[in-house]
Amino acid sequence: MLYIKCPYCGLRAQKEFSYGGDATVKRPNINEEVSNEDWDNFVYMRKSPRGKHIELWQHIAGCRQWIKVQRDTATHEIFQTAKVTEEIR
Amino acid sequence: MKNVSSLENIHKLGLFGNNDNKDELINIREIKDVLIYQIVKYKKSSISIDKIKIDNLNLPKTLFVSSNHYTRILWMGPDNWLVVSSNKEIEKSILENLSHDDFALTDLSHSRTILELEGSLVDEVLKKGCPLNLDGLDEGKCSNSAFHAITITIDFISSNPRKIRIFALRSFGESLYHSITDACLEFGYKAE
Amino acid sequence: MSQPFRLNKEGLINRNKKISFTFNGKKLFGYEGDTIASALIANGIHLVGRSFKYHRPRGFFGAGVEEPNAKLQVEFNGHSEPNVNATEMELVEGLSATSQNCWPSVNFDIGAINNFLKMFFPAGFYYKTFMWPKSFWYKIYEPFIRKAAGLGVASLEKDKERYEHKFEYCDLLVTGSGPSGLASAYAAAKNGAKVILAEDKPRFGGTLLTDDVSIDNLSGKDWAEKIVSELKSMPNVTVKNRSQVFGYYDHNMLVMFERVSDHLEKKSKFTPRQRLWYIRAKETILSTGSIERPIVFGNNDTPGIFLSAAAKEYMKVYGVLVGKKPIIFTNNDSAYETALEFKKNNVEPIILDTREEHSSELIDEAKSKGIDIRFSHGVIVANGYKKVKSAKIGKLNKDKNSFEKIETIDCDCICVSGFWTPSVHLASQSGNKLKYDEKIDAFIPDKKKQHETSVGAANGSFTLEQSLKHGFENGAYLSAKITDTKTEIAIPNVNEKKYGAHDKFWCMPLPKNENPKRFVDFQNDVSVSDIEIALREGYRSIEHVKRYTTLGMATDQGRTSNLNGLQLVSNIENKIVPEVGHTTFRPPFTPITIGTIVGREVGMEYMPTRKTPMHEWHERNNAVFVDAGAWKRPRYYKQGNETLFEASKREAKNVRENVGICDVTTLGKIDIKGPDAAEFLNRVYTNAWMKLPVGKARYGLMLREDGIVMDDGTTTRISENHYHMTTTTAQAANVLSHLEYYLQIVWPELNVNVVSTTEQWAGAAIAGPKSRDMLSKLYPDLDVSNDALPFMGYKEIDFFGVPSRIFRISFSGELAYEINVKSDHGLFMWEKMMEVGEEFGNQPYGTEALSTLRIEMGHVAGPELDGRTIPSDVSLNGLVSKKKDFIGKNSLGREAFNVESRQKIVGLIPIDRKSSIPEGSHIVKDKNVKSPNPKLGHVSSSCWSVENNNPFSLAIMKDGKNMIGKKFFAVSPLKNKSIEVEVISSHYVDPEGKRVRS
Repeated sequence: MLYIKCPYCGLRAQKEFSYGGDATVKRPNINEEVSNEDWDNFVYMRKSPRGKHIELWQHIAGCRQWIKVQRDTATHEIFQTAKVTEEIR
Repeated sequence: MKNVSSLENIHKLGLFGNNDNKDELINIREIKDVLIYQIVKYKKSSISIDKIKIDNLNLPKTLFVSSNHYTRILWMGPDNWLVVSSNKEIEKSILENLSHDDFALTDLSHSRTILELEGSLVDEVLKKGCPLNLDGLDEGKCSNSAFHAITITIDFISSNPRKIRIFALRSFGESLYHSITDACLEFGYKAE
Repeated sequence: MSQPFRLNKEGLINRNKKISFTFNGKKLFGYEGDTIASALIANGIHLVGRSFKYHRPRGFFGAGVEEPNAKLQVEFNGHSEPNVNATEMELVEGLSATSQNCWPSVNFDIGAINNFLKMFFPAGFYYKTFMWPKSFWYKIYEPFIRKAAGLGVASLEKDKERYEHKFEYCDLLVTGSGPSGLASAYAAAKNGAKVILAEDKPRFGGTLLTDDVSIDNLSGKDWAEKIVSELKSMPNVTVKNRSQVFGYYDHNMLVMFERVSDHLEKKSKFTPRQRLWYIRAKETILSTGSIERPIVFGNNDTPGIFLSAAAKEYMKVYGVLVGKKPIIFTNNDSAYETALEFKKNNVEPIILDTREEHSSELIDEAKSKGIDIRFSHGVIVANGYKKVKSAKIGKLNKDKNSFEKIETIDCDCICVSGFWTPSVHLASQSGNKLKYDEKIDAFIPDKKKQHETSVGAANGSFTLEQSLKHGFENGAYLSAKITDTKTEIAIPNVNEKKYGAHDKFWCMPLPKNENPKRFVDFQNDVSVSDIEIALREGYRSIEHVKRYTTLGMATDQGRTSNLNGLQLVSNIENKIVPEVGHTTFRPPFTPITIGTIVGREVGMEYMPTRKTPMHEWHERNNAVFVDAGAWKRPRYYKQGNETLFEASKREAKNVRENVGICDVTTLGKIDIKGPDAAEFLNRVYTNAWMKLPVGKARYGLMLREDGIVMDDGTTTRISENHYHMTTTTAQAANVLSHLEYYLQIVWPELNVNVVSTTEQWAGAAIAGPKSRDMLSKLYPDLDVSNDALPFMGYKEIDFFGVPSRIFRISFSGELAYEINVKSDHGLFMWEKMMEVGEEFGNQPYGTEALSTLRIEMGHVAGPELDGRTIPSDVSLNGLVSKKKDFIGKNSLGREAFNVESRQKIVGLIPIDRKSSIPEGSHIVKDKNVKSPNPKLGHVSSSCWSVENNNPFSLAIMKDGKNMIGKKFFAVSPLKNKSIEVEVISSHYVDPEGKRVRS
């Protein structure tokens, strides 16, 4: 069971969270033209790295905030967590 | 009778479980007839929350509770609080002190089941189903978490004697009650 | 009555409490503190089972978790458990144990024929057999193999015990209370750290209970007692015995299995049997000790052959002799302690040492006591089928590949020692890659991956002085990091025997012309020749050798066989052991019960259920419930002997003709507030929201970014910046997370708050041509005319003194209203509706009738919105705005979504007007075409149309709209049905939607 540091609530068990996908993807702006290729990249294309990966989790049984987590997909080591408004370096 | 609480037909009074050791008994009661409001400050609001008072209480910071005899304000998330009060005038106090431009106010008074547990072994009961680290969660603090598969809010009311309130969504009431009372059987509990 | 092999005074058992038990039907006695094994050995019983493949007679080999043979079926405290390890299970009054894998008895076992046919059952034989003729597999081979497989028998009784869980946190978890563990725990506790000391056995102390040592002038045992007693008195320390830490998981979470009451004859009703602890530790100390390694020789699996440390443990802890004429066969000094212990108890051992004659502290002590020691000697073959009675021994030549002098000597037990293997299982599970230590010929932990530190024998330090020193040092260091306290601990004086070097030799060669089996893995009957076969057949990787031979795959996880197997492979491949590598260690360390993993999630607490405020009324009125996620919803209300079909038909008909009420509390409700609420709705839904007037509702459609329909619902504008959104029951939680995602991450500039109010309001739908009349009686002060409260209208008004909300929306397609009152008033509202509605013929209706009503209206729901459909597939294209941008819009332009012949929703009626079409049926042109029959679509929802009195289905079909009027077949291979159907419009009843607007 992973131990994830919610930037708001502190270290919490994985049971309190729900996984939410890749955090490096940015949605194209609303009400703006976007090429088919850019749209398809956003909707479907994801890198599946073996190693460090920045992803989203939602603290559903906590503060209900979406947070960013940098995790190693092979070993589960978690390096950093951050609010969605912050950068993971 | 118009009002039927969540545990009206489930909370049966009496002594249950391994109840020979009277010092270790856990007391369980249902908390009903309280008013509950969600207060959320809008992102774009520039108001300073330090100046806000509801029923003469400040809005607490992360994982803390502000309380007086009637009202308890629990921190639920960034700029998000839950007001739980037996003061019938609480809505008035909220509307007088918070502007609709700065805050979203939502009445959630009927949406929760609330169980109050008191006794020296309350933490041992929680540990059976809740993955929270209870060290440091003393009186005046609160946290959301889960008990088995039910999402809960815990209000740590006092440490000596240990008294807590567990909130869950109303519809989970019976399941929560069974889960919690089952966890109390090893120590014995008194339903009041 | 007598226990012929019980010593008079030795041991830590309680001779004041006699315990009676049975073994294979025979009544026997032991003492409190015995294991089943020690009690049986005390009674002179060694034959306890038959081996897995060859059904060879087997006896005890070890004294604890390392035991490979003694797995018994045990009945105790009212339940029957298979594969119980006799050397671990504590004796309890009335326990009844039986041998496994033998018939009719362990003494005379028909399965032993396997032993005589063993040349046909080498490693991997099942990969090469049971294949021909093919037809024999199901009827003959498989049933036979199924019967022969396994060891014990699982009980079919319901497990009535309580198993509990516990989440715990600590600064330091110490796994094992041998000397290094006790020292670590002590030093850390003195620094104020929160410590948990976990010991698998009932007694604390580990090797301090069996070794001849002294610490500060106290015996090992007394020193251990002193430390444990002080630890128990400290408030920051939790001391647990009978608790095994069996798994190391992510982020320093370890899981511990506590045997709470298995050893007790009686317990309180609610005391759990076992408990699972999830321990999150800041630091862990792995003081798991080491396990003795055997030397492999001919027929080394004969009952009466023990690990020498086990023989010593039986004497020192249980006061039991494993034999009265022992041979000690060793390649190192530690077995000499066993010999000395036998001598102390007036038994004369013979020591066979594979090493050449030399001196050491222990060798000299044995010599001085007059013990018969033969250097450069070893056991070649053990003799005796059900019990060892003699051994053929020989003097090894210099290269240790042949014998110079062979003779046979009498014995009744052989105690073998091949040096020690550190228990690195937990370290390995934590991610530590392990490294090979040539000094001890075993793997020890290497670089740390998590916060774990191995100390003592688990780290390859085999002296007491080192173990204590490392324990104290690491306990102090790790705890000081956390508590920032440094308490000085006085390192005690240690008196122990010094060991010399061991011999790097573990496998006796075979004499000429003899081929007795030399076993490496006892439990799975894997011998030296099996490993040779695997290598001859080309299996090189240790992972392949393991799986081909099943070496190390039994319940003892190769504790006494892995390294010897590895050594053989490396010898044959001419590689060194570290190059060959080792297989992966996996939790649990020893078997744990399924009950303990499940905990209290059984019966009522198996899964949480959600109930509406009216649930109790539904129960009282014979509702039959259906699961909708965690919710319980009435599926129908059973009158008399009605079937589901009859009841739902009755209920639906009553709605079409009169009026009915339905509990719709479970549908998601989300309260949306804020100055940007309308803009947010506009982006989230496909249709337009900026101009919805206050007091009006609108149907909304939500897509995923890939254009697929996600959910639908009705959202009402309560006031200028306040909206009430509804969702389907199933999607309520997902939609809330979806909205929060967009508000927190994608459009943080929008000033909007969303919060679930599903539980704040109880909801009832009132539907049917008489619903307006009924509404007017419920709200006598309200103008409920079509003008005053039109379709999609909204009103806030009191319901008999409690606040309520009226939404004129319809799921059923009839004239309908949905009433919300606050949850505490839900039951009151419902009972009032039943009272007032009686004159209009009101009856409650459940989800089955509800489905019927919406299906024949052609209204789509979950089965149509199944994650594969876009708005135009399901006749909802009218809701898709062409002017504004919204979630998923850009995907709707995909080629595949706009192809002429794309799937569309249609209605189907059976030609015979009688046959119900199973949901999930495939639509094909001709039912007689052999597979593969081109699939033109599928049936998504079926019902009995109460309006038209025949079955009706909704289907998603290629180019559906152009198929109207044509005939096809709906086939269900699962239900063995194929029904001829005609395609019609999906709006079977009231296609113009007149009723909702009436």
